Amino acid sequence: MKGLVPLFIGLFGTFAFSWLGLTVIPNWQIGALNPQTDEEGTDAYPTPKSGMADRGRQIYAANGCIYCHSQQIRPDYDSADIDRVRDAGPSPGPKWAERRSAPRDYIFDRPVVLGQERMGPDVANIGKAAPTEEEKPAASPAANVAATSPAPAQSPPPNASAPKPGTSGPPPAAPATSPAPPAGSPPAPPAAAANPSPAASASPNPTGLPPAYSEAWHHRHLYSPRSMSPDNRDSTMPAYKFLYEKHPISGERSADAVQLEGRDAPPPGWEIVPTYEAKCLVAYLMSLDQSHPLKEVKTAPGGAGPPAGSPPAAPAGSLAPAPPKK
Amino acid sequence: MNDQTPNPTSLTRQGMDYGETSDVQEVHAAIQREKREPRVGLEPLSIWLIAVYGIAIFTGGAYLGRYSGNFSGDGLDPLGGPPPAKKGGGPQGQQQQAELSPRDRGKKIFAANCQTCHQANGLGVPGQYPPLAGSEFTTGGSKRPAMIVLKGLQGPVTVKGQKFGSAVMQPWDKTLADQKIADVLTYERSEWGNSASPVTAEQIAALRKELANHPDSYTEPDVLAVPENAELPGGAPAGAAPSKPGEAAKPGGSPPPSPPKS
Amino acid sequence: MTPAADIPLKEPTISAAAGDAEQFERARIDASTRVPVLMFYASAMVWLLIGTLLAGFVSFKLHSPDWFSDVSFLTWGRLRPVHMNVMVYGWASMVAMGTAIWLMARLCRTTLRHPLIIVTGIWFWNIGVVIGVIGILMGYSTGYDWLEFPPYAAVVLFVAYALIISWAVLMFRFRRGDQIYITQWYLLAAFLWFPWLYAAAQAMLFVVPVQGVMQAAVGWWFANNLLFLWLGAIALGTAYYMIPKVIGRPVYSYHLATIGFWTYALFSSWTGMQRLVDGPFPAWMITASIAATILTIIPVATVGLNHHMTMQGYFPVMRYSPTLRFTVFGAMSYTVFSVVGILISLRSTARYLHFTEASIAYSHMGLYAFFTMIMFGSMYYIVPRLVGREWRYATLIKLHFWASAYGVGLMSLMLLVGGLTQGADQNDTSMTFIESVASVLPYVRGRTVAALLLTVSHFIFAFHFGLMLFGLGRTSTVPTFLNPVEAEGSEEHL
Repeated sequence: MKGLVPLFIGLFGTFAFSWLGLTVIPNWQIGALNPQTDEEGTDAYPTPKSGMADRGRQIYAANGCIYCHSQQIRPDYDSADIDRVRDAGPSPGPKWAERRSAPRDYIFDRPVVLGQERMGPDVANIGKAAPTEEEKPAASPAANVAATSPAPAQSPPPNASAPKPGTSGPPPAAPATSPAPPAGSPPAPPAAAANPSPAASASPNPTGLPPAYSEAWHHRHLYSPRSMSPDNRDSTMPAYKFLYEKHPISGERSADAVQLEGRDAPPPGWEIVPTYEAKCLVAYLMSLDQSHPLKEVKTAPGGAGPPAGSPPAAPAGSLAPAPPKK
Repeated sequence: MNDQTPNPTSLTRQGMDYGETSDVQEVHAAIQREKREPRVGLEPLSIWLIAVYGIAIFTGGAYLGRYSGNFSGDGLDPLGGPPPAKKGGGPQGQQQQAELSPRDRGKKIFAANCQTCHQANGLGVPGQYPPLAGSEFTTGGSKRPAMIVLKGLQGPVTVKGQKFGSAVMQPWDKTLADQKIADVLTYERSEWGNSASPVTAEQIAALRKELANHPDSYTEPDVLAVPENAELPGGAPAGAAPSKPGEAAKPGGSPPPSPPKS
Repeated sequence: MTPAADIPLKEPTISAAAGDAEQFERARIDASTRVPVLMFYASAMVWLLIGTLLAGFVSFKLHSPDWFSDVSFLTWGRLRPVHMNVMVYGWASMVAMGTAIWLMARLCRTTLRHPLIIVTGIWFWNIGVVIGVIGILMGYSTGYDWLEFPPYAAVVLFVAYALIISWAVLMFRFRRGDQIYITQWYLLAAFLWFPWLYAAAQAMLFVVPVQGVMQAAVGWWFANNLLFLWLGAIALGTAYYMIPKVIGRPVYSYHLATIGFWTYALFSSWTGMQRLVDGPFPAWMITASIAATILTIIPVATVGLNHHMTMQGYFPVMRYSPTLRFTVFGAMSYTVFSVVGILISLRSTARYLHFTEASIAYSHMGLYAFFTMIMFGSMYYIVPRLVGREWRYATLIKLHFWASAYGVGLMSLMLLVGGLTQGADQNDTSMTFIESVASVLPYVRGRTVAALLLTVSHFIFAFHFGLMLFGLGRTSTVPTFLNPVEAEGSEEHL
C-alpha cells in the first residue's frame, strides 16, 4: 500500500464505525432512560439506592464480587435463570427472578456490576429473597409478631435507619393481629417490650443459622461462606474476614454480632461485628431487587402479580374496564 | 551444536556495549546472515476463499437480519417485533387512560395512596386507621369525605362506634389533582358494599376554592360541624353557587346522582 | 514434495556493496533501538513473572479459598484484577511496544534518535502500572474488566503513551522507501487505535459516565478491542514480519494481506458484546456482535491462508528456529481462538457457555496462545540482535516452548470442558447451584496444574533472558538452533 491518506482514512473509518455503532448509537437509544412510573407519577422504579447501599456497590465492585457473581437475569428462552431456585432458604425456595433484566433496571447503578461469571449464584434479586418478618422463626412468641418493617426492597435495612416518626404520611401497615403498639408511634424495630432478646431483626438466638438471605445470613456468609447450609463446603467464595472486627463483649452482646458456630465462632467473651463497610455491602445486597414489573419486559407467567396500582395488569384482569356498578 | 567459544583476548569491555568484540564480522554475524526485509508476493485470490467469504457474509448477515429485534432500544427480545408497550394489544392495552372508568381509576389511586392505612378491604386497622367500608363519613353526603381528603384529619375521631386517635391523615390537596380525588372518592363510595353518589372533578375544584383559605387538617369537630348529608354542589349538571367556608350545606337537598362518566 | 533443502532460498544476488550497506544500516538501526527495546523487554519480563505468580495464586485460591482470607489486599477478588491488569498493561502492552518500536525502526529504515524520550515513557508506564496495582489492592478497583486501574493511573499511562507514540510516529514520518509494508499497517493501526480506545473508555466510564448498562457495553467494547485492535494487531503485524523474514520468502499474496487487514479492522472491532449475550441490552447490539464474530471468519481464513501458503514447504524450518516455532504456534492459535469465539458467542451455545470458565479459556487463548507466543517468538529474534550474543541454551528454549504450549493447551482444554459442564449444570434446574460449582472444580484444579507449567516456563525464559541482558549469551556467528542441523549446507537458510 502506497497511499498514506487512504490508510489513515480507513483506520479512522473502521474504528469510528465500531465506536459509533456500539457505544454512541446505543447510548442514544438507552443512555437516557428515566424510571418508570404509573399514571399518578408514583410507584417509580427503579429508585436510587440509599447512601449505604450505594457505598456497598462500590465495595462490591472493588472487592471483585463481580468475578463470581452476576447481576443479570437472562430471558427464559435462552437460559434457566428465571426458574432457578435459590439453594438456601425454605424449600421450594425463592426463584432467582420474576423476569429478565432490562436496561431500565440499572439506570442508577454506577458502576454497573453486571458480572461475567457464575461461580456463585446471580444476585440481581437477592434482596427480594430476604425473608419477610412473618417468615422469620420466632425465638419467643412475642418476638417478631409486632415488629414489622417495610418490604426489604424499598427500605434500608432496619439496623441502619430509624423508622420515621408517624406524624405525617401513611405509616407502614401492621398486621391486624398485632397488639396495639405504643400510642403515637409506628412499630419500632425492637418490637414490643415483651421481647426479651436484644434485636428482633437479627435472629433472636446468638448461634444457629440465621434465616436464609436475611442480613444476619449475609454477614455470616461473608465471614464464613463454607459454614452455611445446606452443605456449602463446595463453595469457593473467599472469606471476607477483613470486613469484620473481633472485640470483647462488653456487657451485652451487640445486636449485629455475626452468628457463628463451630470453628468459626470466636472464643467465649468475644464477638465478631461487621465494620461499616460490611454493613454497607450487606445493605447493598439487601437492596437488590429487580422483581418490579417493567412495561417492556414480559413477566414470567405465574410469577407474583404486579403490586396494585402499577401499570402491567394483574393476571386476574381486575383492571379490565368494567361497566360502572350503578 | 555449532558452538564457538570466543577468543578471550578479543573480549574488550566497552561500557554499555556488552563486551563486543572488535571483530566486526562476529558482531554483526546475526545481521549478516539475515535475509532481506520481507516483501510481498502477488498471488491471486483463490476461488474457494471467495466462497468462504460468501458463506460468512451470508451467515452473518442473515443472523443480523433475523435476530435484531427491530433495531429498537426497547427490543430486548431478538425475535421480537415492536415492543408491546407501544401497541394497544394485550393486557398492557388496558392502561389506556380513556378506557378506564372513574371507579377503576379511583381504585388504582386508592391502591397507590390510601391502601397502606385504610387497607385494601376498606376496614382500616382497629385503633389506628378508620374503616371506610360502611363508614358514615364516607357514605353520607359527599362534602365531608371530600373535606377530609383535601385537607386531612387529625386528632381523635369516632367511626362506626369505634374510637381512633393515634394516626394522622395527611392532606391530599397538594398531591392529588381534582380528577384523582374525585375518582378515589367515587371508588370509595361504591366499593365494599358502600353505595353513595359519585363525585366529579368540578365538585372537588369548587370545594378546593371554597377551602382555599382554610389551614390544613381538620379535626373531628370541624367535620361534624358539616351536616351529614351535605352534598357537594355541582353534582347535578348545573352547578349551584359555592357556599362560604364553614357554612352549613346548601338548601335544596342532595342533587340526584349523576350518571358516571366514561 | 521437494525437500526443503532443494528449494533455493537465497534471493537473487545483489552486489556486495549494496548488501553491506543494507547490513550496515540494519546494524545502526539496531544499535539505536537497543536501550529502549531492551528496557521494554526487561520491564515486561518483570511484569510477566509477577503476573504469572499472581495467576498461580488466583487459580489456586479459586478451588482452595481459605488461604490468607483475613488480609484485605490478598483477597481473591482483588488479586484477580491485579493479575489481569498486570498481564495486559504490564506484560502484554510493554512487550508489544518493544517489538513494535524495533519493527517500526527496521521497516522504516530509520534510526531511533533520542531514545531517552522513549525511556522516560517506559518509566512512566511502569509507574502507572504500579500505581494502578496498588490502587486495586487498596480497594479502589473500578469494577470494569481490564479497566480496574483507578482513573488516576490511567492518566500516567496516557502521558507515557504520548511519549512513546510520538517517537514511533516520527520514525514513520522519516521513513525511507515508498512501500508501506503489511506490518507497518498493523503497527500504525494499533498505535492509532489504542489511545482513542483508551481515552474513549475512560471518558465514557469515568469522566462523563454513560448511564446504566451502557457502562457495561462500553467496558466490553473496550476490552475486546484492546485484545483485537491493540494487542492482536501488533501480534499479527509481527507474524507478518517474522515468518517471511526467517524463511526468506515473500509473503504469499498482497491481496490476501489487504483483505485480511481491512476485514480484521472492520469486524473485530464490533465483537465486544459477545461477552454480554442475552444481557439487558437491545437485541440488535448483541446480534451485531455475534454477526461480527461470525464475519471474523473472513480475516481469520485470509490471514491463515496467507501464512500457510507463505510457509508452504518450509514447515521443517520450525524444527530449528525458535522464532518460527513460537510465531507459527501463535498464528495457528489465532485461528483456533477465533473459532472458539464464534462458538461461545452464538446464543444457542452461549446458553451453556456464558457465565462459565469457558470465557476465561477464550481470553487466555487470545492473550496467551495467540498474542504472547508470537511475542515470545519476536523476542527470540530481536534480543540477539540487540545484545550481540546468541541464546545460550537451546534446551531452555525447548523447555520454554513445550511448557508454554502444553500449559496453555491444558488450560484451554480444562476450562472449555469444565465450562461446558458448569453451564450444562447451571441450566439444569433440577440441580442446585452449588452442584454446578462442584462440577467445575476438578477442571479448575487442572487449570492450576497448567498454571504451574506456565510458571516454570516463564521463569526459565526470564532466566535465559537475564543471561542475555547481562551479556552472558553465546558469542557465535550461528544462531541457536533448537535441534542439530542435519543436512549439509542447510544452515545457510537459517
